[in-house]
Amino acid sequence: MRGPKFRIVAALLALALVGAACSGRDDDDTATDEDSGGEEAAGSSIDTADCVADPTAEIEGDEIKLVSSYPQSGATAAFSQIARGWKAYFQMVNEAGGVEIAGNNYTIVTEDKDDQYNPATTAQNIDELVGADGENAFATFSVVGTANNLAIRDQLGELCVPNLFAATGAPIMGSEDYPWTLGSSLSPYSLEGKAFADLLAEQNPEAKVAMLVQDDDFGTAYEEGFQAAIEGTDIEVVKVEKYATGAAEVSAQITSLAASGADAFFNGGTLLACPDALTKAAAAGWTPITWISATCTSKTLMGVAGQAGDGVYSYTNLKDPLNPDFDADPAMQEYREVVAQYQPEADLDNAIVGYGWTQAALLVQVLENAEAPTRLAVMESMHNFEASEEGVLLPGVTVHTGDGDNFLGEAYQTMQYEFEAAGARNHFVLIGTELTDVEGETLDLTPEDLING
Amino acid sequence: MDLFIEQVFNGIGNGVVYGSVALALVLIFRTTGVLNFAQGEMALFSTYISWKLTTEGMPVVGAIAVSMVIAFIAGAAIERTLIRPVESGRSPLNVVIVTLGLFLALNSLVQLFFGTDPQVMPSPFPSGSVDILSATVQKETIGLIVVLLLECLFLWFLLQRTRLGLKLRAVAANPESARLHGIRAGTMLMAGWALSAAIGALAGSLVAGERTGFDATLMQTILVYALAAAALGGFTSIWGAVICGLIVGIADALTIQYVDPLDGIEVVLPLGLIMVVLVVMPNGLFGRRTVERV
Amino acid sequence: MTTEQTGAAVGPAIGGAPVDTAAPLASGARPGLFPPVPRQVTVAKVIIGVVLSAAALYAPFYFEPTINRVLSQAIYIAIAAMGLNLLTGFTGQVSIGHGAFYGVGAFTSAILMIDYGWTFEVTILASVVINAVLGFLIGVPALRVRGLYLALVTLGLAVLFPRVAQKFVDGTGGVALLRPPRSDFSSLIDGLADDQWAYFLSLAIMVVLFILAWNLVRGRVGRAMIAVRDQEIAATTVGVNLAGTKVATFAISAAYAGVAGSLSVMIDRLADGTNPILYFQRSIEFLVAMTIGGAATMLGPAVGALVLVLLRRNTEDLIEGKEILAPALYGAALIAIVFVLPEGLVGGVNRLLARLGRRSSAKGRPPTRPIPDDSQ
Repeated sequence: MRGPKFRIVAALLALALVGAACSGRDDDDTATDEDSGGEEAAGSSIDTADCVADPTAEIEGDEIKLVSSYPQSGATAAFSQIARGWKAYFQMVNEAGGVEIAGNNYTIVTEDKDDQYNPATTAQNIDELVGADGENAFATFSVVGTANNLAIRDQLGELCVPNLFAATGAPIMGSEDYPWTLGSSLSPYSLEGKAFADLLAEQNPEAKVAMLVQDDDFGTAYEEGFQAAIEGTDIEVVKVEKYATGAAEVSAQITSLAASGADAFFNGGTLLACPDALTKAAAAGWTPITWISATCTSKTLMGVAGQAGDGVYSYTNLKDPLNPDFDADPAMQEYREVVAQYQPEADLDNAIVGYGWTQAALLVQVLENAEAPTRLAVMESMHNFEASEEGVLLPGVTVHTGDGDNFLGEAYQTMQYEFEAAGARNHFVLIGTELTDVEGETLDLTPEDLING
Repeated sequence: MDLFIEQVFNGIGNGVVYGSVALALVLIFRTTGVLNFAQGEMALFSTYISWKLTTEGMPVVGAIAVSMVIAFIAGAAIERTLIRPVESGRSPLNVVIVTLGLFLALNSLVQLFFGTDPQVMPSPFPSGSVDILSATVQKETIGLIVVLLLECLFLWFLLQRTRLGLKLRAVAANPESARLHGIRAGTMLMAGWALSAAIGALAGSLVAGERTGFDATLMQTILVYALAAAALGGFTSIWGAVICGLIVGIADALTIQYVDPLDGIEVVLPLGLIMVVLVVMPNGLFGRRTVERV
Repeated sequence: MTTEQTGAAVGPAIGGAPVDTAAPLASGARPGLFPPVPRQVTVAKVIIGVVLSAAALYAPFYFEPTINRVLSQAIYIAIAAMGLNLLTGFTGQVSIGHGAFYGVGAFTSAILMIDYGWTFEVTILASVVINAVLGFLIGVPALRVRGLYLALVTLGLAVLFPRVAQKFVDGTGGVALLRPPRSDFSSLIDGLADDQWAYFLSLAIMVVLFILAWNLVRGRVGRAMIAVRDQEIAATTVGVNLAGTKVATFAISAAYAGVAGSLSVMIDRLADGTNPILYFQRSIEFLVAMTIGGAATMLGPAVGALVLVLLRRNTEDLIEGKEILAPALYGAALIAIVFVLPEGLVGGVNRLLARLGRRSSAKGRPPTRPIPDDSQ
């Protein structure tokens, strides 16, 4: 049994060594596909020379098709609520005659598939929905997840199909190397570090900070963003604990952090880890100034935290449906009415539905600003975009891209949670009227390798 | 030193959880010879039933009791309808496939019936903590330990000291022989599943109560640790499962505190532990040596 | 040399489906594992084989790239399932951890391509070597661990691997996702589109590995494996090298899973370290494919893989508005298959053909071969 097998293995090894000497394939740019993209369009910053599908082709007919892929089953099925928001908005727009692009009206048609948060499935779904030559859809919209968007951005980049409003705050969505992909109004994660640093500068300039972060790129964005923001100040990080992605309980980490003597706490936990950190900290008798991840500010997660969430800080750029101050707000009322009408299964108090709604509103603006009903024009519109008072954006918040800045959500308002009683309408209270606008600063605050890889 | 003790108690807090689920796994293995991958999800479904009942106003203890009864019946039904047809077949792998299918189905149905949002489960134990050895221990944890001990006693008594237990063990050891002795093997198997399902329901409900919040992923990580604990204990010993649950929990907490490079992958420790222990002691720490006839 | 029907002796003693009673090209009465087969059955199998092969060869030209991709996925799952079949179906060692070897294969290929500029096809060989070694290293301590415990230890591997990958793999933006550029996988044959090339390459590799496995099973090694599965202790008394058989089979099956992983990088175009349960899911998929196709049959894993992939696809958006039920439908389908066909699809087909063969043989025509006993 040894003899022949050994020889085979040896031969394979030899072949492998030979193969290693060979370098990669000869670079053969898409020679088999039609190469129809024109020269760099005049005045555009997007290079269209290598586009597989023609980005200057106009939409045929009177429908504009947007496709998406996001979790609809499995552990992260809760993210499917985002889509309820944008579907309702598009249905409203269609009722009113559709979206107007360069003089023509188009009905917005959407199609989506379930990817269970699996990037390989996302890639497959988008391949099918968009088509091998991009003929099945105009653009992709609100694809959920960092890895999921990474899995599709080069394919869409080659096809020159816009991937708009990617539902993730990962700084990599603002990468210059991939002009056809752009994020959403979700502030880049690294900005939370700056917001907390600013808060501490006011309240406790010599704070000792403990950090809890997830053991992946999401956590790294928090950790490095915060470290960058406190450079040159007297604030220092005394302990960082990481937890396994998706973990639902972090008692050991909190014990470790509480014992570090820190008087400020950056709770970068998400999903169930976040409220668990808060309750465990409270149970341990540790009461630092606490910042929580913006992904944790939803009604459901803060509801789980209950009393332990009282007094924590975070930020937002959207109006919170739970905040009574906005009950009479016309934009909020419109949101509630329309979503209840078109998507009756949506949970209106859940902030991510409002998020989805707002992205749809912003997209419609982008479309209407486009100079022509073509992908190139829409992408250029996306890259030179400015809007405020759309959807349920906070008053005074401007989302803006342009001049090399690819991050939309760089304005925020800090807020603090007020817990009155279980079952009451507990919500975040906006701190004063100070809106912080850090337009263009994400690039400064975030380490290069997190953006351009 | 304080910190060490604190973390040990953190570990015990989780270890009790792992031990509870491991108990159900070992029970079903001892009485039916099946490794039930769906154990976690069965417990999850029962937990959601308990939770739903508490939201309708039922007191926690009553809700859990009702849920356990439902689980008991459901467990027996599952054995009769889904497991029995494939159990006697030629391949044990078929039973594995059925339990896997059950795993997927139950998880999905839970999300359909009860929603995907995280929820809070009330606990039958008083809140607050006590100080033991200069460490703060939650009363909840102590409550769980007590319940677990009672479960172990009950099961030990049942299996070792009652006729029913004797029949259960006989059927598990040798169904043919048992039948020849007049024992209704089918009924015993159903009983084994029913009992495990009820224990699982109790474990799940208490675990969810101990946690800050829970959702459909509650049992997934726990199951891995519980399997590790059961394997470490030898899969045949009820006390072994519980003790090893504690060991696994404590090892986990201490790793998080003292071994920084393993942050995020501390699961490597309990898993590495099993691998090492099983290589040295192939029947687990508390298992019985099996004698095989040729 | 015994004259009794050995089909009964090798029956389902400690689990495992009956041995494949006839490969399509079985010829002559081979005593022992392959009892003689009526000519009609052989002819039927050859015809089926030819039709399926033709379909397999024509498929990529008929279907769209997205379907080709789905078929290619079925192929790499089939390869891993084939390897697992050698270990679990034939040798009786249950492993729920082969997703980890698949993962090692995937990352081996991805890292060698991205960081060291290797050509894809050569990375497959590297993956084979690395996984064989890994399989050997794990197989040795696994000797001490039996049955259920082995299953759980291997489960531990599948759970551990993505955590380790997440920690140590550094992709763009710090995300543990590796994506070699598409041009690295472009077709080496003019006239074949990239997806068709991917399909044919995978198919070719699968056929080669299938033949290798088949030869293994038909020979002394195969008999040793089955002996180990059915009666370990008795096997040692007749001179079967228990340790050698187990470890070697572990290594070989790991290598198969590694090849599957490498191919997945070409077909799915990524190696994913972000998902904690992915490699556990893959392990289960290999096991399921093997079982519903027919454990300890040669074609079972391939058939099972195809059914699995199609099932997964078709239950996804089956009920409009209730996408959350997709896993439940999938699980229910798996249970149904196992109920209806406890020997798997291929096992069931074998049985059907054998029964037809017997019936036609009994129609008064003198049998061309001795009729096998009813040992199925």
